[in-house]
Amino acid sequence: MYRIPICIGMVLLLLGAAAFGVSLWDGPAAWHTDMRTLWGTPIALFVLWIGLAHAGTLISAIFLALGFPLDRRTSMIAELSTLCSLVVAAMFPLLHLGIIENFYMVVPFLDARGNFANMRSPLVWDCCSIAVYAIASSIFFVTHLLSEKRESLKKMVRPMSWLLFPLVLWVHTVVSLDFAVTFVPEWRGAFFPLYFICGAIYSGLALVIILLMAEHCRVRLLEKLMLALSWVMAAFWLWEFMLKGTFSFEVVFLGAIVPQLLWLRPIRDNSFVIMLVAVSAILSLGLERYVLVTPSEYNVANAFGWVDMGLVVFSLGLFVTLFFMLRVRLRKPLEGDDVVMGELSVQDEESASPVKGELSNNFHLLRLPLLVGFLAMLLYVLWAVSVFPDPMTSLSVANIVPLCLPLLVLVAMVVLCARPFWLVLNRRTKYAFVALMGVAGVLAGMFWAGGSSVAAPGAVSVQELATFKPAEKVWEARCASCHGKDGLFNEKFVREFYPVPQKLSLERLDSLGTDSLVSVIMHGRINMNAYGDRLTEEDARGLVLYMRLLAGEGR
Amino acid sequence: MDRREFIKACSVVLLMQAFAGCRRVTLDTSSSMPSLEDFVNEVKMAASRSKPGFDLVQIPMPSALKQSGASPLNRFGMAIDLDACNGCGKCILACMQENNIPLSSKERRAAGQFMHWIEMRGGTPSMCFHCGDAPCEKVCPTGAATHTPDGLSTMMYKRCTGSRFCGANCPVGARKFNYDDAVKEGLSRRFNSEVPLRSKGVMEKCSLCLQRLQDHKYSHMAQFPGNEWRGTGVETACAGACPKHAIIFGNWLDPASPLVKAAKRKNIYAPAEVAALDPSVVYLRGNR
Repeated sequence: MYRIPICIGMVLLLLGAAAFGVSLWDGPAAWHTDMRTLWGTPIALFVLWIGLAHAGTLISAIFLALGFPLDRRTSMIAELSTLCSLVVAAMFPLLHLGIIENFYMVVPFLDARGNFANMRSPLVWDCCSIAVYAIASSIFFVTHLLSEKRESLKKMVRPMSWLLFPLVLWVHTVVSLDFAVTFVPEWRGAFFPLYFICGAIYSGLALVIILLMAEHCRVRLLEKLMLALSWVMAAFWLWEFMLKGTFSFEVVFLGAIVPQLLWLRPIRDNSFVIMLVAVSAILSLGLERYVLVTPSEYNVANAFGWVDMGLVVFSLGLFVTLFFMLRVRLRKPLEGDDVVMGELSVQDEESASPVKGELSNNFHLLRLPLLVGFLAMLLYVLWAVSVFPDPMTSLSVANIVPLCLPLLVLVAMVVLCARPFWLVLNRRTKYAFVALMGVAGVLAGMFWAGGSSVAAPGAVSVQELATFKPAEKVWEARCASCHGKDGLFNEKFVREFYPVPQKLSLERLDSLGTDSLVSVIMHGRINMNAYGDRLTEEDARGLVLYMRLLAGEGR
Repeated sequence: MDRREFIKACSVVLLMQAFAGCRRVTLDTSSSMPSLEDFVNEVKMAASRSKPGFDLVQIPMPSALKQSGASPLNRFGMAIDLDACNGCGKCILACMQENNIPLSSKERRAAGQFMHWIEMRGGTPSMCFHCGDAPCEKVCPTGAATHTPDGLSTMMYKRCTGSRFCGANCPVGARKFNYDDAVKEGLSRRFNSEVPLRSKGVMEKCSLCLQRLQDHKYSHMAQFPGNEWRGTGVETACAGACPKHAIIFGNWLDPASPLVKAAKRKNIYAPAEVAALDPSVVYLRGNR
């Protein structure tokens, strides 16, 4: 079962792995970039795969929330494709970074040195939204998977779909803002969020249609929706052409003209053609993303090197392998007892459509999690605004708004499913979960500690300061009585008094840093007196420099 | 071949391999350091491939920054006098030497990508405009691109993840990305020990010779404690190297600064792309 797709996927993955490896090793120099294109293929692939990842949640969560009749197996396939696409999509922003190991700096969480990610950047919003989206859709998938036999989880599916519904749209809006907030003329436009969402849904639907085809199943509803979206996309492309004059024939042909074949009945009845149409839709969106990310005067097709091609192949191979392997592995719980797939028949439809009482039941379940999520979000916003360290950055609440919904959904999701899951899961899974939380805690601690802080050699020069008298005079007048004229202890002092002053070794000065030393001089610390009333801050800085000089000389 | 011989042969091969492995391998080729002439040649090459010029629009004289943490005393900036500049390109070389800017690899040079912080645009030098309302700083995810209270748009190399968002959002393309490990590939030379060499994968750009300002500030603080510092007498490398004195560095908020004096005599222009972003580096042209 599915041996051929897995084999094809593995071959593609192996071929593409070479390009992936080269890109990891060489960094951004590996793929095509030029004077105007600083991003290139990985970001195009990221946007494409994030778009494809929307289909699953769209189909199961939104259709479920709105009461469309789709059976469980079809939605499970779609959700699985979401998870796999998300894994593929997450690879590329990491690959894109110049220094991959610094990726954690994008997370908007304080570290011990007061570093904070720049919350004005769409990349920060992006990182958070997608992480939350990945967590939320995994929880949704697992709940859906386990819900068949367990009534307590079955109740959770619909409220969860209500939480995921806005999140899906939010995530792609944020992805579109990566482009829309910039100064690049090709990327500007207030219509970008809608444009990206429609493109994402369009390509995602095409992907699900192909995957369902592999199950020997067709869903007319999805095909109709794809046809409708091809018109929406055509409208957007026309709009963009009128606005900026950019137009790509291949994109419009593959994305807007080829799908019109579905109007013809003999063609529509042929599954193979449907598959081709879906592939052409994905191809069109992929091309469109690439053209968008690579605004250049040159012919981009010539610049598309083997690494770029290899990355495309890699993403495809990874997705196919991952999807079909999971599909085989999860065969039993995924298929359940269902034989039927696709749209439900009429009497099923009635049972699936919302009854008046059910909506209020969902609301009862959602009420507390939503409240907790809202409070958590509010707390975070207040904390982030109050703690933001840089006075030169005018951070407004509007900059944090994009993080609000993901945070709310994350907290609400966890609160919603914590109890039912705790009752359902067996002991081993619980232990594994606790261990996982422990690992997360360790990682958070590492984040708090921050990376290495070895200063670049030669960054600070104190040699020239040797000749400056005032700092030396201040030192001799105020500091030398305890710390000694040469920065060592004053021997007499050490013999007569108990509180021994700190050793001012270069290591210690380096580890404390100029700013904290200045604040110690100004405000005092333990046995050290405060000199804020006698010295200005600039004097204190001069003293710190003098201390470094003494430490460097004396020892 | 019997068993004993086979084992012997194997051990001999192993032994030889071990010897081969133990000999000193010279994989490290970083010893080659580019000569000054290489830098001169690259500057000539870049100057010969001048990019198209800017559309200039007239702007008022830069005033204090609007941010709450900004200094009311200092806002450093620069002016390039287009009437005096003849596009000789000496500023580019001086900048490379002051800031240890590496050479570009052959392929990048062929594609017109140089690491130079100063570039020739339509025959005149252009560098980062140090916009007061800098778009690059807004999109930097980690806060590596920040503004100092003194009006410099600065880079924290240690904090940079190389997401290149700032580069994409710079309207004039003043930011340069370290695609290659210049030290390893023998493309960089440490002319100035005060400035760190940038590692592969970080962004860099004109810093308005931050190190000179910083040194001057600290020596001023040590020399005249309590006295306010206005950066009087500091000059960037490019300004110092200009034979026509077309590049003038100074403090926009200090009426005694040469920059303000020069700007009062002339009309002030900025590229249309950044004119609305409150640039600190401007062009001067035509007597007022």
